Amino acid sequence: MDRRQFSKTLAAAGAASALSPFGILRAQSQRLKVGVILPRSGVQGFIGQSCQKGADLAPGVIREMLGVDIELMNADWESNVDTARTRAERLIQEGAHVLVGPFDSGAATAIAQVAEQRGVPFVINIAAAPPITEQGYKFVFRNFQTAGDIVRNGLALIGDLFRATNTVPRTAVFMHVNDTFGQAMARGIGAILPTQTQLPFKIVETISYDPAAKDLTVEIGKAKATNADFLLLVCRLNDAILLRREMVKQRWYPMGVISPGSPGMYEEQFFKALGKHSEHCISNVPWYNPNAELTKVVEKAFLKQNPKDKLVFHGLNAGFTFEAILIAADSYKRARSTEPKTLAEAIRQTNITSKMMLGGPIKFNAKGQVEGIGSACLQNLNLVPTVVLPQAAATAKPVFPMPRA
Amino acid sequence: MRAKILLSILLLVLVFFPTFAGPYALSVATLILFFAYAGQAWNVMMGFAGQLSLGHSLYVGVGAYAAAGLYFHTGLGAWAGIWLAILLCMLLGAAIGFLAFRFGISGVYFALLTIAFAEFTRIGFDHIQWLGGPGGLFIKVEHRTGWDLVNLRGTPAMFYYVMLALCALAFIFCFLLLKSKAGYYWQAIRENEEAAQALGINTFRWKMLAVVISSAMTSVAGVFYAFYYNNLFPEQIFHISRSIEIILGPIIGGIGTLFGPILGAAVLILLSDGITEGLAALGWEFPGVKQVFYGLVLLVVVMFLPRGIWPALARRLGVGK
Repeated sequence: MDRRQFSKTLAAAGAASALSPFGILRAQSQRLKVGVILPRSGVQGFIGQSCQKGADLAPGVIREMLGVDIELMNADWESNVDTARTRAERLIQEGAHVLVGPFDSGAATAIAQVAEQRGVPFVINIAAAPPITEQGYKFVFRNFQTAGDIVRNGLALIGDLFRATNTVPRTAVFMHVNDTFGQAMARGIGAILPTQTQLPFKIVETISYDPAAKDLTVEIGKAKATNADFLLLVCRLNDAILLRREMVKQRWYPMGVISPGSPGMYEEQFFKALGKHSEHCISNVPWYNPNAELTKVVEKAFLKQNPKDKLVFHGLNAGFTFEAILIAADSYKRARSTEPKTLAEAIRQTNITSKMMLGGPIKFNAKGQVEGIGSACLQNLNLVPTVVLPQAAATAKPVFPMPRA
Repeated sequence: MRAKILLSILLLVLVFFPTFAGPYALSVATLILFFAYAGQAWNVMMGFAGQLSLGHSLYVGVGAYAAAGLYFHTGLGAWAGIWLAILLCMLLGAAIGFLAFRFGISGVYFALLTIAFAEFTRIGFDHIQWLGGPGGLFIKVEHRTGWDLVNLRGTPAMFYYVMLALCALAFIFCFLLLKSKAGYYWQAIRENEEAAQALGINTFRWKMLAVVISSAMTSVAGVFYAFYYNNLFPEQIFHISRSIEIILGPIIGGIGTLFGPILGAAVLILLSDGITEGLAALGWEFPGVKQVFYGLVLLVVVMFLPRGIWPALARRLGVGK
């Protein structure tokens, strides 16, 4: 092939691929095509890939459970909202019957508009901004707690923890990252904590810090000086590691380190980096019920697909992504149709009682929001995040105050 | 003459594009036009007047929040908000320009100043609860089948045509600017500021004009963004990555040219989507591999076409820059 021929071939191939987006329909299949949009690269890539593990195991588990054949159509929105919108358009054009994703409120809003315009059901796996389901959408559904619920449940579990351990801490020092997430959580705590009159403690000092900080000596020194009974912490992964190390260095041993709803302390890297110093930290987050039958099935499938990994380190991400696909499959089974309106109506009528994540049955309200999703009090025990509350889902008893290392 | 014919054909294709394009292609085209427009606005400052801004997300963000906030709290539509957005961004641009040019800050230091302004505005907006704070500002989404240009509510095709009109207007406006006294002064300043000063050009005044025009134009892109996506988060809209996205188009297309920002935006977005499609067709599922390909292609373009794609293409087509 000479240069000219090569150029012509390349041009023809380019034209063919360029024309493919212009509405050429492909043959319909009997399978439910689920468009999974996750941030598998970019700044949220780590979380997106964790969610993807839940999606990857879904077709096998659901085929066994419901007899529904699922075809996953994966799309990476690259942690970029502009891309999220175009990826959603692309998936719908390629024949996705339902969309699932995207682990981000901004992306969820962008995709929701596309889903609504095109009349394709969209089941949100993880995104907490309350307005998403306040827009009067007909095709948008969310099986995740809103930001307010996360804080409310997280604080309520702190009360449960004190009751379960017969402790009455009176003071807390509140430390939080000063990024968007940390500030939103801090505001939520500021608004909700005064309404939780059953909680015996008051916050004696609030200390914010940079999520990219390389040294937290001053902040921990300040926190220690308050002599507070425990540390209420809103963190991310890297700063949580740094902060815990600094606590050990400064020999600060409060009754506990408790997060009312943030990532960081239950993640695998936290255990790998800190070893025994990761022990007894507590995170109150939406989580799966380790005792549920479905969890055991999912865990088995997870181990088969990821022999070197553990479901417990992907609990929130993989769990909610799996459940979002389960909702779609269950609705498809009842609707016996992939026609969008029929499928959306079936999703609205969902009532899944045998579920993986904590809380009541999966039932959508008129706005398309599942209410009553529960949180778990996760305590790091034996280098694994372990559910210690609520009691019905617990696999161990809470240890509070935390013993000195 | 040849340039006019080619431009007419392109315009014709773009006008009729929604009639044969699917929704996906339309959304990609809208994105291209958005970045082409924002790139054109940035080009006024850097391409024409030689002032490097790495913080243009500031004007996109402030413009977006101004119009969206007005709509959210008072119900006044986008075409009312656009004036507030322009006014605020002109004032901001003037403030930055004054600080920099009055005290002789230029080059990379000026670029740093623009980043700093964008960054502390982002932090500031995180604390404005009236505009949603870090939790984001969500505009009520209404599903409409018709076009409501006054409130910028309507179908994806409407948003496409709005962006197309903005691009066309920006193109004409920039063409007129380049041919005006300001355009010649800016180019003189860009090439050699001391020489321009020696010729009696009030460089402070003309650089200020470039900054103010560029910021005002960019704010309009922000208004569009707010009503197209219907949600704004300070973390996303003011982020430096958005500024980089804006300037990549003109850099790849050709800085200082009229057609460079349009061509650059088209090449970048089509390349990005093309690589995604290509990898999907090959069955490759490696997250992040696209970015590697994307980076490599950009590297090749920068190495072999350091002045951008358009000047080389224009030469081949036998048309002016």
